[in-house]
Amino acid sequence: MSLVVDARGRDLRSVSMELKAAVTKGPVVIQEAAHLHGLVAGFKSGEVIIKGDGGDYLGVLNDGATIRVKKNAGHYLADNMTRGLVIVEGDAGYGVGAYCYGGTAVVKGNAGDFTAVMNKGATIIIGGNAGDEVATYMLAGDLVIVGNAGKNLGNYLIRGNIYIGGEWESLGHNTLLEEMSPADLTKLHGYFDEYGIDADLTSFKKIVRRSEKPFYK
Amino acid sequence: MLPVVNGTFCVTVMKDRCINARMPGKCATCVEVCPYDVYAIDKAGNVRVQNYNACVGCRICAEYCPEDAIRINPAESEFLVRSPWTFPQVEEIHYKARTGQYMLRGFGTMGDTPSFDNITIVPSQIASPAPRDKYREECNLEVVIGEGACENPIRLKYPFIFPAMSFGALSREARMALAIGAAQTGIINNTGEGGLLKDETWLIKGYENEARTLKRWQPGGYLVVQWSTGRWGVSADYVRAGDGVEIKIGQGAKPGMGGHLLGAKVTAEIAAIRGIPVGSDALSPCRYYDVQNLEDMKRMVAFIRDVTDYKVPILFKLGPSRPYEDVKACVEAGADAISIDGLAGGTGASPAVVTQGVGIPTVALVPPAVRALKDMGVHRKVKLFVLGGIRGGLDAYKAMAMGADGVGFGAAAEIAMGCRACMACATGQCAYGITAQDPKLRALLIPEEAGDRLANFIKATAEEVKILTMLSGHDDIKTLSEEDLRAMDFNTAAITGLKLIGYEGRVPWWDGRGGSSNTG
Repeated sequence: MSLVVDARGRDLRSVSMELKAAVTKGPVVIQEAAHLHGLVAGFKSGEVIIKGDGGDYLGVLNDGATIRVKKNAGHYLADNMTRGLVIVEGDAGYGVGAYCYGGTAVVKGNAGDFTAVMNKGATIIIGGNAGDEVATYMLAGDLVIVGNAGKNLGNYLIRGNIYIGGEWESLGHNTLLEEMSPADLTKLHGYFDEYGIDADLTSFKKIVRRSEKPFYK
Repeated sequence: MLPVVNGTFCVTVMKDRCINARMPGKCATCVEVCPYDVYAIDKAGNVRVQNYNACVGCRICAEYCPEDAIRINPAESEFLVRSPWTFPQVEEIHYKARTGQYMLRGFGTMGDTPSFDNITIVPSQIASPAPRDKYREECNLEVVIGEGACENPIRLKYPFIFPAMSFGALSREARMALAIGAAQTGIINNTGEGGLLKDETWLIKGYENEARTLKRWQPGGYLVVQWSTGRWGVSADYVRAGDGVEIKIGQGAKPGMGGHLLGAKVTAEIAAIRGIPVGSDALSPCRYYDVQNLEDMKRMVAFIRDVTDYKVPILFKLGPSRPYEDVKACVEAGADAISIDGLAGGTGASPAVVTQGVGIPTVALVPPAVRALKDMGVHRKVKLFVLGGIRGGLDAYKAMAMGADGVGFGAAAEIAMGCRACMACATGQCAYGITAQDPKLRALLIPEEAGDRLANFIKATAEEVKILTMLSGHDDIKTLSEEDLRAMDFNTAAITGLKLIGYEGRVPWWDGRGGSSNTG
């Protein structure tokens, strides 16, 4: 049986204090939390379920917690995460998984611009479409987009992999299309299986960096 | 990467003293230490001056010469007779034409810009409160950051900070020295944006060992961790490791640009902390990818406070842009302290056109920044630190009398460690191991010795501030005011709103506008 925290009409500090105490005892359900930005920030463990929509910066600096959002999330989901898992059943806004060093962020719907920007090692999976400037200056990790992406995909990619099942408007600087390997397919199959995402593996393309040091001439 | 001062120094090697002149091949110290290849050695072992024009006047060669055989003297200024086509200007054009690249350098703006030098301090006599006795009376220099806003405010013993200078821009040894210097003097050391060295966390508290069983340096300092646009090495643990968290908006060396660590300095250790390939440029974004407006910034402050359990203050760092509006925005976002970095600021590498020509001079930032705090009713509550070319007690006193709460020493701290301002920081070839990443060069900097030098510098500078504060009739830096200062020329009076010497009044357009200080 999960503990329930009602966030209606309350501020971040008050809800967060209750949440920090509750999460040590077991899974916690938070309801009416869409107005709170920066909720579940920097948690090292525990499971938190957002019943309904989540606000901006949900799971920022996550360092080991599992966070499930039953509807949509705001901007900057799982910003700067280092460990843990964040799963959104619906859509998420701008900057999903920005600056992450590790962990996994899954958005089963669509994600906005600058998803996975400066990703330094996380696995970021988008079940629908992603916006423009996705994976800009990505330094490590995997970005998986089941649907389409917008302009400048992978701009200044340094390391890591972009897997995309649909189309893109344009590729950014320092990107290179590469053949999908059996290992890539196995990895994607594992992701989709684990997170319950329906995708046609045969349509996926892989994008990697062209040069390790694109800022040099 | 030529600096702007080349071609303006005469290099003289006195052959009667030079070991190499007497015994070719026996000494080539000058060749080894010069960052600009002014000297060369031929196959026969003879040292010669191969490029007089490359000398920047740092005098590292003279310092290292075992026989005191080198003299570096300023040449007759070309600027009087050849401007605008001076030798440095001609060289810069040739460099760009030859390489297709713009020039980079560190160490801030060179040349004549408005500064604190044209301000004088007014001592107390009969018509003002009597001076205080420096030798027999107390003077409060303490500054508290975050009182009422967090559980553990920072209580600076002196009104000084070591501002953000990252591991990467600086060597590991220099970072450790700064921590030791701060620990001895009770001031802040800021990580900069290059992540946190584990050793810093216990050194800054004055401990000699990681187990924290032996306290060697008193009273212990404060570690401020920087949160920046590149977010290098940032995690929840990193944020919680600080006694404060600084949100970097900009810096004096390159306002409007992100941090810029050249690939030459990205070693395996730095690459591991930052998460980038060895030898790759680390180019921080110029803006936050996770902030699109002031509301986002407020939310960022809120979640950082939440992650740190509302225990530590939040600081902001600004570049020299629109001080009034920028300071107000920081206050709105929730700052407990704001550092504003002037045009002269610049320990980091930057395109020469930016470091030389972009931003507002430090002295001109103070009045609007203070006015913004006053207009928002938070002057002396939200603390203001002034950075950028601050050299010692005189600059510090003047900035504080204009309304700042303290100052930061970046370049001055490097110089206190031994640096001679050769401006080759970005190359990684620092002859003192301060900005070097080569283990051989790094070994030249002993953290404990450099930390002691930093502590000495801070203590001596604090004494200077104390002298100046007390001779102007105060026993607390918080009561300093612009009435304690006078502008020595019309331009300075116009820029600062200070009274002009002789005239003993403010220039007319400052009337009714309020001042920058306590009394304004």
